[in-house]
Amino acid sequence: MSSSHETVATPETFTIPVGPLHVALEEPMYFKIDVSGETVNAVDINAGHVHRGIEYLTTKRTIFQNVILTERICSLCSNSHPESFAMAAETIAGLEVPERALYLRVIAGEVKRLASNLFNVAILAHLVGYETLFMHVMEVREIAQDIKESVFGNRMDLGAMCIGGVRYDVDDEIATLLTRELDRIEPEVDRIIDTYRTNGSILGRTRGVGVLKREDALACGVVGPVARASGIDYDVRMVAPYAAYDRLPMTVHTLVDGDVWSRAMIRLAEAKTAIELIRACLRDLPGGPTHLDDRPDIPRGEAIAKVEAPRGELVYYLKTNDNPEPERVKWRVPTFMNWDALKYMLTGAKIADIAIIVNSIDPCVSCTER
Amino acid sequence: MNFLSLLFRNLKNGPSTEAFPFGPARTPARFRGRIAFDAPSCEGCKLCERVCPANAIKFTKSADGLAFDCWHDTCVFCGNCEFYCPTKSIRQTTDWHLAHTQAEKYTMVEHGLIPNMKCVECGATALDTAPNVAKVKPAMAAEEVAELRARCPKCRAKFLKARRAKP
Repeated sequence: MSSSHETVATPETFTIPVGPLHVALEEPMYFKIDVSGETVNAVDINAGHVHRGIEYLTTKRTIFQNVILTERICSLCSNSHPESFAMAAETIAGLEVPERALYLRVIAGEVKRLASNLFNVAILAHLVGYETLFMHVMEVREIAQDIKESVFGNRMDLGAMCIGGVRYDVDDEIATLLTRELDRIEPEVDRIIDTYRTNGSILGRTRGVGVLKREDALACGVVGPVARASGIDYDVRMVAPYAAYDRLPMTVHTLVDGDVWSRAMIRLAEAKTAIELIRACLRDLPGGPTHLDDRPDIPRGEAIAKVEAPRGELVYYLKTNDNPEPERVKWRVPTFMNWDALKYMLTGAKIADIAIIVNSIDPCVSCTER
Repeated sequence: MNFLSLLFRNLKNGPSTEAFPFGPARTPARFRGRIAFDAPSCEGCKLCERVCPANAIKFTKSADGLAFDCWHDTCVFCGNCEFYCPTKSIRQTTDWHLAHTQAEKYTMVEHGLIPNMKCVECGATALDTAPNVAKVKPAMAAEEVAELRARCPKCRAKFLKARRAKP
């Protein structure tokens, strides 16, 4: 300082760090946010805090061990990973999965979607500051958790998938339990949908916030509820049906506004559809085996498989050689494209809305950084 | 949603949480918990060791026979071992009480031993494993299985060949 009379000019803009811990969920994402006053100008996303080298690890495990390893990449999409991995292996080996197993795969996937979507909208209520609603939605989600524990034996990692089918079966007792629990959760979900549609606190914080326009959504290649809330009618279950989805009454929900509220409403509508799909599966469940006998041999080859995870399209690439371990496993997760769209959503937003907007893409950092 | 009616409902129903550890916690029958191993019914095929993603299962040969160990501190409770086990000698119990002190960490192991025996026919030392008779036709009676079990692998093959040759 040459002169003590000089005053330090207040800069026009600031760069503030958000994260890496506790932006919305307890998952590490680090944003460098350039702000003017309270308004966001630009966003820089810094990733890689939870890289664990799982893609490399899959090449050190046999295909049958990898079904379990891929399930543990992420807890919320823990059924979609082994499902697409198994589908890729089945494609290479040309295996015909038994019909009953296809329906059981849908049940497992939709139970996970129901719980995952309710979890995300619950966190939204928490970020809005509406703790009563947060606690209530989490209590309703607990019914879905109890279903998972009773049917599959674990609250998060279902262990439902295996190469050539599923590892669990639905007998009369489990079918009764599922029906009873769905009867309990369905009216609660209806009431939650009503609340999110009409409640002033929710609407005030989410309507018109974090808007992703359709053209920006297309440019970023977003998938899942984020895409469908911006008017893009894309759902893997519809455009490339796998498991038994082509035989089930599937509905794809779309909204046009592309704001935080629309994304929450899409998730709630899909939770409702998930209940209907599970009911349809229980009604149409064919007899027969639930998986192929023994451990099928997976020959040399490569394949791609994709499923609709709760967050959107999940693509798996599997390349095998003559070893029991795969040569390469690579997956593209929905959050990878969706967090790119955060740049559009956050630009022009208020600092106070950052957490709500980040949560609205339902980021799954542990999948993305594996 | 009428939060007042929800409040009254919650007051009437009491807490949603479980009273554990002061009361019992709900455990479903299909819960995937602690591993239990039944040595007498094991075929010794070691498939569980191969499919275990965490490498928690180890088979070790010793002077007494073939020892099975499942390390619960390494186990991820995925149930692959139970699913692929041809005899269901390994299964997951509903026991989830696995909290333990640091001092106990090396004893959180499910141990089993398939002992050595003397073959009744040739006298060779062999493992007393359960014979794999699921695919043998016509199905074997319990006494026949016991007779087969008392033999070493070579004599078991001979026994089965002789049985097939019988009219």
